[in-house]
Amino acid sequence: MAIDREKIIDEMSKIKVVGNDEGLIPALGVYVQQLPADFWNGFATRMIKSIDPELADAVETMLERAAHECGYYTGHGIITSEEWDKVVKPMVEKVPEDILYGAYAVFSAWGWANSEIVELVPGEKMVVRAYNYYEADGAKAAGIVRPFAHMIRGVSAAFMDLAYGDQFPNGLDTFTCEQTKGIECGDEYGEFVVTKK
Amino acid sequence: MTVTLNLTHRFDPSVRRHYLNEALSVLHCHHYATLYTQLALDAEDLGGVKNLIEAGADVFGGFLNDYYAKQGITSAADRIDIAQQYWKTVGMGLIDISSSDEKSGKATMEYSHLDEGWLKKWGGIDRPINFFTQGFLVGVFSAVYGKSPDSYEVSETKSLVKGDDISEFTITLK
Repeated sequence: MAIDREKIIDEMSKIKVVGNDEGLIPALGVYVQQLPADFWNGFATRMIKSIDPELADAVETMLERAAHECGYYTGHGIITSEEWDKVVKPMVEKVPEDILYGAYAVFSAWGWANSEIVELVPGEKMVVRAYNYYEADGAKAAGIVRPFAHMIRGVSAAFMDLAYGDQFPNGLDTFTCEQTKGIECGDEYGEFVVTKK
Repeated sequence: MTVTLNLTHRFDPSVRRHYLNEALSVLHCHHYATLYTQLALDAEDLGGVKNLIEAGADVFGGFLNDYYAKQGITSAADRIDIAQQYWKTVGMGLIDISSSDEKSGKATMEYSHLDEGWLKKWGGIDRPINFFTQGFLVGVFSAVYGKSPDSYEVSETKSLVKGDDISEFTITLK
């Protein structure tokens, strides 16, 4: 494989993200912000802990939906950015598979999760493992012992949408993701299986 | 005297995590922020808006409390100044806390990540939606005046997404 994951993580983790004179960070075709992980975890866990357990699935679907849509648009922004062109694109030989491997290096570089693809069936299936992710911290702190990585689930489905769905922006919701393991459940790592809907 | 926010960024390659002044931080975009906001609205009857504001108050207030203690920032004016710089630096917009005392305050935003993002994604809406900043302001006032995060409430009286020329927030001690 031509993708040098460690080099990508090293380069992409150094990108400076600071608000401009308007306090905004326009980048990668979106507005970016850099907030404490506890804030995102805090909202998700408060919601789940404060509602009737029968409504938890609906709320968790909405949390995953937010990540899916975010991952689709931000993911597209990432793979069409100057930073991508400079660091990752020279390594890409096989499209779209190398792009997917590169995207997970960026996913790790930006602190979403230390994650990588462990199985990829082009156009059909992808299995991702995450060895360290902030959503597990929130779930553990809240005493939630079930798969709770909505962000990784949503973004993983979105990345497959971008790779194998209809051309952007028409490919959203082609794939879905199931979390089969989780650090928050006591597993060694989180595992995410993405398949066609 | 002007104080300058000192945010130190660190990336730990062994766990692939970013820290701002040792607080674990993550990059997200306006799609994520606005969809979380929409989720809070959709689940308003289930406490969605309340939970989003309270999460912000706890986390941002906690971050500022820690910063003030470690940096020895003691005057209310300096603390407010630092809070405004923080919101700008992390990409949440340009906030001007124009008046503040222990009992009340006013703040305005000419630029706002949430509102700009909402307008870009969906266009306008007939109600204020910047619950991130509402929670932030509760956190700011509780940290600046040494009170618990549930001591203050914030109302958004003008809103960029509603078509106003600025967003405006009123903070009051409960």
